[in-house]
Amino acid sequence: MLQRKLFIAVICSCSYLFIQAQDIDLNKMLEEEQKKEDKDKIKYTEATFKTTRLINGHSIENLAPGIMDLKISHRFGTVNGGAYEFFGLDNASMRMGLDFGITPHLMLGVGRSTYQKQYDLFVKYKFLRQSTGKRNMPISLAVMSAVMATTLKWTDPNRPNYFSSRLQYAHQLIVARKLSESTSIQIMPTLVHYNLVTNAADPNDIIAIGIGGRQKITPRVSINIEYYYQLPAYQIPNTANSLSVGFDIETGGHVFQLHFSNSRGMTERTFISETAGKWSKGDILFGFNISRVFTIKKPRKK
Amino acid sequence: MKLIQFIPVVWLICTSFVQPVIYTSNNGVVNFRSEAPFELINASSKELKGAIDLSKNNFAFRIRIRSFEGFNSPLQKEHFNENYMQSEQFPEASFSGKIIETIDYSSKGKYTIRAKGKLTIHGVDQERIIKSEIEVTGNSIRISSNFSIMLSDHNIPIPRVVKEKLANEILVSINTELFAK
Repeated sequence: MLQRKLFIAVICSCSYLFIQAQDIDLNKMLEEEQKKEDKDKIKYTEATFKTTRLINGHSIENLAPGIMDLKISHRFGTVNGGAYEFFGLDNASMRMGLDFGITPHLMLGVGRSTYQKQYDLFVKYKFLRQSTGKRNMPISLAVMSAVMATTLKWTDPNRPNYFSSRLQYAHQLIVARKLSESTSIQIMPTLVHYNLVTNAADPNDIIAIGIGGRQKITPRVSINIEYYYQLPAYQIPNTANSLSVGFDIETGGHVFQLHFSNSRGMTERTFISETAGKWSKGDILFGFNISRVFTIKKPRKK
Repeated sequence: MKLIQFIPVVWLICTSFVQPVIYTSNNGVVNFRSEAPFELINASSKELKGAIDLSKNNFAFRIRIRSFEGFNSPLQKEHFNENYMQSEQFPEASFSGKIIETIDYSSKGKYTIRAKGKLTIHGVDQERIIKSEIEVTGNSIRISSNFSIMLSDHNIPIPRVVKEKLANEILVSINTELFAK
């Protein structure tokens, strides 16, 4: 009798467990289904960086089509100017720019900097996107080309001056990888070309390799670092490599970028190849970028 | 005496070996809406997965957070995923549990039922009872439901700067049709 009772109890508990097991199955079943679907889909990595600029230079990010981004950037004087210069804040230079997203892969922008009364124009094309799932692509790739024109008065108006002498170019390949949700890195080999250089001995082509990254501290705040190493053989004498450290802070439709850098310029030519200050000497400038996006063309509803 | 003892056992064995009758769907529609004083946000997804086990009145629903489209700008969508839902960390929202009422699935008709279960959004579980309309059509089961979700219930804070642009109460509507598997 006791044996039988035991037997019943075992069967009861077994079948109870069996029912329990089946209850969970429904959820598992959907999960399996999802996994199967994911294998057939390409999942593109999004938001490698918060905005289209890392600090001074470009990040891998593009603007979405139909979006206009108004960028206002300030760089103050060097901090080592002391209290007399109010730690650099007496000396502001700025760049106003408008960026446009044309297609999901193409963006262009124009800007005007007070520094050397400079105009700039750039295009950026992203031709490879990091992805997982059906297609596994470890990196994203983009090319960026910019042309810059200084419009300062000619230093010697008596000699023949050509407009082309005002132009400089920068071409950049951007290789980026989002390592994890909060960490991303990118490498930017760059060529800067001067149509006319100041001294005959200066090189017309400057080659630099940039490296940068970001680390999120909270979902809305990240620390960014950007460094451009100029190859010594292709470098204007007495210039330093540009090193910048900053924060991205996101609030609603704005992204604020606050940073410290030894570069004063905000265009490729000025910060990559014409940085004069050195961190070791305290030639550090405070600066910020404010970005405000506007939707100028709504995507067509499906 | 012995027979009586055996009845629950037989019953349990029988029920546990009853072939589960499962209805599923892969393309249900989920809409959500935030009605704040300064901004109206709308987004929807057509990738709601659902399953109902008719034999036990159990159900499960899942949705990929990244599958939501719409919004007022691409940046808003990015912020939805990056800052609010943290969809890399919590890629899915789910609701699973039991239907309180017993429905006669063999006869066609519309029923109002209450679904009781665990609603998981942003990694936070909430016990919820959600009212739904069910229509048994013969070869399918249609489900539609309107309910609301409090962001504060799911540990999704609203930053002060967007307080007037994002409602704490998010209105959700669901429409799906499940077929026998």
